Order: sequence, then C-alpha cells, then structure tokens
Amino acid sequence: MNGKITMTISIGCTALILTMVMFTQFKTVGETDITAIETMRETELRAELASWKSKYEEIETKIEEREKTIGEYNSELENNQNSLKILENEVKEAESYLGYTALKGEGIVVTLKDNEIYNIDHTDLLRLVNELKVAGAEAVSINDERIIGASEITEINNRIIVVNTKRIAGPYVVKAIGDKKYFESALTIKGGYIDEITGSGKDIEYNVQDNIVVPAYEG
Amino acid sequence: MNQKRKIKIAILLGMMCMFLTLGICIQINTVKNSTTTVGRTLVENELRDSVLRWKQKYENAYYKLEREEEELANLRQKVSSKDNNASNLSSKLEKYNELLGNTEVTGKGIEITLKDGDSSILKNSANNLVVHDGDILEVVNALKNAKAEAISVNDQRIVSTTAITCVGNVVKINGEKVGAPFVIKAVGNPSMLLGAVTMTGGYIEILENDGVDVNIKQVEKEKESITIPKYNGIYKLEYGTIYE
Repeated sequence: MNGKITMTISIGCTALILTMVMFTQFKTVGETDITAIETMRETELRAELASWKSKYEEIETKIEEREKTIGEYNSELENNQNSLKILENEVKEAESYLGYTALKGEGIVVTLKDNEIYNIDHTDLLRLVNELKVAGAEAVSINDERIIGASEITEINNRIIVVNTKRIAGPYVVKAIGDKKYFESALTIKGGYIDEITGSGKDIEYNVQDNIVVPAYEG
Repeated sequence: MNQKRKIKIAILLGMMCMFLTLGICIQINTVKNSTTTVGRTLVENELRDSVLRWKQKYENAYYKLEREEEELANLRQKVSSKDNNASNLSSKLEKYNELLGNTEVTGKGIEITLKDGDSSILKNSANNLVVHDGDILEVVNALKNAKAEAISVNDQRIVSTTAITCVGNVVKINGEKVGAPFVIKAVGNPSMLLGAVTMTGGYIEILENDGVDVNIKQVEKEKESITIPKYNGIYKLEYGTIYE
C-alpha cells in the first residue's frame, strides 16, 4: 500500500519535471524565432547583393549607350562629316538629367495644404522630396518649380516658403515622375511620410497618375 | 523489509528517468542549435562571396565606363577642332558635366563635421545627441541656399537625385552606407556658406543646442583647398521622357 503511494509520487514528480523541461524547450525555440538576429543578417546580405546586381546592370546599360555614341563619332569622323547631330544629342541628354527640359511620364502628385491649426513648413517639403528621391524619382517639382541639384527649399521668417529663390504659397503641389506603385508604397508605408504628416495634424492628399508633366527649370 | 526495498527501487527509477529525460532534452537542444548555425553561416558565406563577386564586376564595369568617357571627351575635342558650332556645344557639354557632378571639384569653401554628442556630459536625451538623416538633409539644404557649387557628405557627392535616408541606424547617401562622423564639404564662397549655416536660428545652432558635436573649418586659402569627389552613380531616365 505504502509502496504504491511512493511509486505514484515518484512517477508523478518525473512527469512534472519532464513537462517543465519540455515547456522550457518550446519557449527557447519560440524566442529564437522572434529575435532572428541571424536571419536578419542574411536578409541584409541579400539586399546588399541585389543592390550590387542592379548597380552593375545600370552601368552596363550606360556602357552600351556610350559605346554606341563612340561608334557614331568614329563613323562620322571617318566620313569627314560634321558631328553636330551627335553632340546635340549628348547635350540634350545632359539637359534632361539637369532638369533643363520638361519630362513626362507616370508618377505621383502629392498635395500638402495649410489648415486652421498647422502650416506646412519647409522641412515637410524637403523631407517629401527626399522620400520621393529614395523611391527613385527622376524629376520633382513643387508648384511647378523644378527641383534640380542646386535647388534649395527654405523659409523666410518661418512663414514664406522659397524654392529656387522664388516664393511659393500653399497648397503645395509636389509632382514626381517615376514608378508610381513604388512611390505610393514608399509614402503610405506604416510609420512612413503620410503617417507622420497626418500624425502631426497636417493635411496631405496624393494620387498616382500615368501622365504627369514636370516642367523644366527656369533659372 | 520488502516494502523498504520497493521504495528504494521506485526512487532510484524515478531519478534515473528524470536525468535521462534532462539529458535527452539538452542533447536535442544543442544539436538543433549547432546545425542551424552551421547551416546559416554556410548560406551567409555563400552570400558574402556573391556580394563580393558582384561588387568586383561592378567595379570593373565602372572602370570601363570611365575609359569610355575619356574616349568620348577625346572624340568631342577632335570634332570641335574643325568646327566652331561643335566647339561651342562641346564646351557646353563640359559645363553640364561639371553641373551634374561628373567631375572632381576643388576650391575654397567650408568643411562641417557632425559627430554624435557625448551622453555622459550632457543630460539631453540620447535621441537628440545623435546625428540623423534629417539633420544632414537640413545642413545640405542650407549650403545649397548659400549657393554652394559642390557638396559632398563623407565623399558621397550630392547631386539632383541624391537621397539621404536612414535604414535602421545606418545613414545611406546615394544608396551607400555612411557612418558618423559626418564630414560635409562644400565648395563656394566661404563666408557666405559659413553665414548660412551658423546664423542665429540656423540649423547648426539647433544641432548645438541638441548637444551634437559640431566642428566647422573654413577654407579661404587656395592652397589648403577643399576637394569634392565626383558622383559615382549614373543618371538614367526610365519612366520620364523629354516633353516638348
């Protein structure tokens, strides 16, 4: 009788400890899945790899373009023709990168408006332009002022916004040409630009379009 | 007598069972951990290898592109030697390439170094002491406002398509990682550049109040001029077409 009780107790104890160990085991496995530091490093490496690949591909396309132009020059030189046409094309290409020509294409139009309580400040616009560039914007304008490499976005007396030394007033219409889906997801991502702006009580609207014209820079 | 022996056997059995289970559990745990790390490092090493391979490929291609640009410059010169119109276009193109950041720029200007503040000295919150992507963006913007001719941050040339972002706690410029201290160089009128960033209510004042470590060097002599590297990315239009 007594023996049976002891037996039961000892078996019970073992079972209890076994269960506890099992639970600890499960918990540890669960925790490693959550932190996943090792896998994060792997994703980082994958991102790095993808970025080098795309950079390589970009440069390869550029090399092809350059080779073509070199070929054009050489054949013109051989035939003793003037190469004005080729030079003109090269100048035109450079102008398109500098923002000296208007561009047309798909993209996004973002409108920021002052409301009764909050005004849009230059940092809001500066950050928006930066976000659009992150998403690969090829051309950006604010109220038809083309943003070029040297463009500043500042404020006089904390009130009047100045772009390309010209004063602009709200509503601020920011147009960008590039991958419209990419723009949309970049801005609407949780905790992203739109969340931050609406979170600070400011008004923002956007719509993606297939045919946006961003005007040329007028220096 | 018989009863006591039974108890002893039962306890012994129970303890043996317990140790056995513990042992098995520890064993399983260790085995699991070791195999996964080995597997992961294998994958990671492979990835690292391919990253290096593609980087090398990119560098070779970049070198090739540079040679081609040189060849093109020679060809343009050849063409312009015969023709006045061509020579005008050629010099225009040269100027455009400078504006695009495709050339190294040397001259007078200023050099601003931003470093994260020391949290042991100041009681500011750690977040304020850290240099953020937005801070660099504002300083660069202020320098543009002062008509800087060329700007770079940690040798990344700032061009029209340059984005300054923060991924986790790493700042990225032109898609490349840059780390603190951030050295912002600008070529232009030194006193104008200095005035634009240091004016009261200007961005440097804001940063200093936040406890960020700011160091500004003004270079006014040609001898100790500032050198700003050329842009190492490329321009392309994939979505936009010229609209006339």
